[in-house]
Amino acid sequence: MNSRYFGSMATLAVVVVLMLLAPALAAGQDLSAAAKMTTTHKAWTPPRTADGQPDLQGVWTNNTVTPLERPKELAGKEFYTDAELEALAKHERERLSRIEDEGQPPANHSGVEGAPADDVHYDFSQFGLDRGQSKLAWNRRTSIIVGPEGTIPTLTAEARTRLAELRAKAKGHEFDGPENLTLGARCLARPNVVPLLPTAYNSNLQIVQGTGYVAIETEEIHDVRIIPTDGRPHIPKSVRQWYGDSVGHWEANTLVIDTTNFTDLSPFRGAQNLHMIERLTRADEDTILYQFTVEDPGMWTKPWSGELPITKIDGQLYEYACHEANYPLANTLRGARVAEEQAAKKAAK
Amino acid sequence: MKTKLFVLVGLLLTAAPAWAHHAFAAEFDQSRPLKLKGTVVKWEVTNPHSWIHMDVKGDDGKVVTWMIEGGSPNNLYRLGFTKDSLPPGSEIVVEGYQAKDQSTRAVGKSVTFADGRKLFLGLQARESDPETKK
Repeated sequence: MNSRYFGSMATLAVVVVLMLLAPALAAGQDLSAAAKMTTTHKAWTPPRTADGQPDLQGVWTNNTVTPLERPKELAGKEFYTDAELEALAKHERERLSRIEDEGQPPANHSGVEGAPADDVHYDFSQFGLDRGQSKLAWNRRTSIIVGPEGTIPTLTAEARTRLAELRAKAKGHEFDGPENLTLGARCLARPNVVPLLPTAYNSNLQIVQGTGYVAIETEEIHDVRIIPTDGRPHIPKSVRQWYGDSVGHWEANTLVIDTTNFTDLSPFRGAQNLHMIERLTRADEDTILYQFTVEDPGMWTKPWSGELPITKIDGQLYEYACHEANYPLANTLRGARVAEEQAAKKAAK
Repeated sequence: MKTKLFVLVGLLLTAAPAWAHHAFAAEFDQSRPLKLKGTVVKWEVTNPHSWIHMDVKGDDGKVVTWMIEGGSPNNLYRLGFTKDSLPPGSEIVVEGYQAKDQSTRAVGKSVTFADGRKLFLGLQARESDPETKK
């Protein structure tokens, strides 16, 4: 076995060095910290577009094994050491090689070490859905969320009540009809677009810039955010959109995106009045440092922030036409009807 | 130290769930495992999931067409698969679970060719692999 899945050690080292500097880059800090970090790459000068803006264009991945929230067992530990990161990569390599060499999927068939035995699904390696089969944006963080806690803050009392009511209302009606299924299962919207969070597979995005605009397309699930950078204000508050309304501006080498005007149907955690600030800073030829802050005073007791590297990949973004064969939606509803019939027969006996 | 590292690694990977685009348990029935041997009729290389159509001859000699859910073609294509990777006529064995609606649909947890080769394995040219990267 070798390092075939994880790029050269040199690439890994660059990412490690980058992330070593990450504590000084906690989201919310001004650009000077990011700029200072960028200048540590002495041999590298950020490229510019024809109209003089920092060039973020290209096809990128934010595929990562780093979870959004820090596992309880790692409480207080914000970063892995170099040795731990190496062990992590080694472990992942060995896991995948074990599947290949022995021709045996892991016992739980999910491809996820430690997943419950009843987590029945594909052999993820075989079906090309294992994160480790695609390029990974390695970093030393133990969670995407920054800070000593590394978790999403406590919900407000108001949000707890509202979400509990919603859950109670939905209980027993989860599969009544297509409208009851999640926006994701309906191929409508997913929580990986604003902010740009990694998704389980096809965790890729493309950035295209034109004068006064930046466009970010996420492969899953086919959404393009068109972000004006010409100083215009947000659209009127009365206009609400699933992914909100994004406006951007440049702070030296950083694209800062401010997003408001989400609907209460936003795919992001059931929040109703989201405000998100994202910062994209080209850190080197192959890396964008991505930072975001989320706030909704009615939802969380305080704002929270996260960051992760976004890594360049070869090739192009492919169409993810989620609707083209979304058989699972109909299968799921038919399955629920069959279960209901069986339950009714059983009750009648 | 080694044990501790392993625990850290295990936690990290566990905490990154490899979910598909829909809830598995809502579509397939874990109490209905199956093993099917048959011939590929066609492979729908579609999103969000690919579907293998295969003809399976039952004990009564009757041929029934099954549909087997598989991974996202975008990822499969990046790993080196093409629409010709699973040609019609291929003899395969599928182990998986039947759909909850009890139709002839199932999820394939593993797919093997009749000679024992695992489907897809050996075709992968990972982008992050310096040895196979162009």
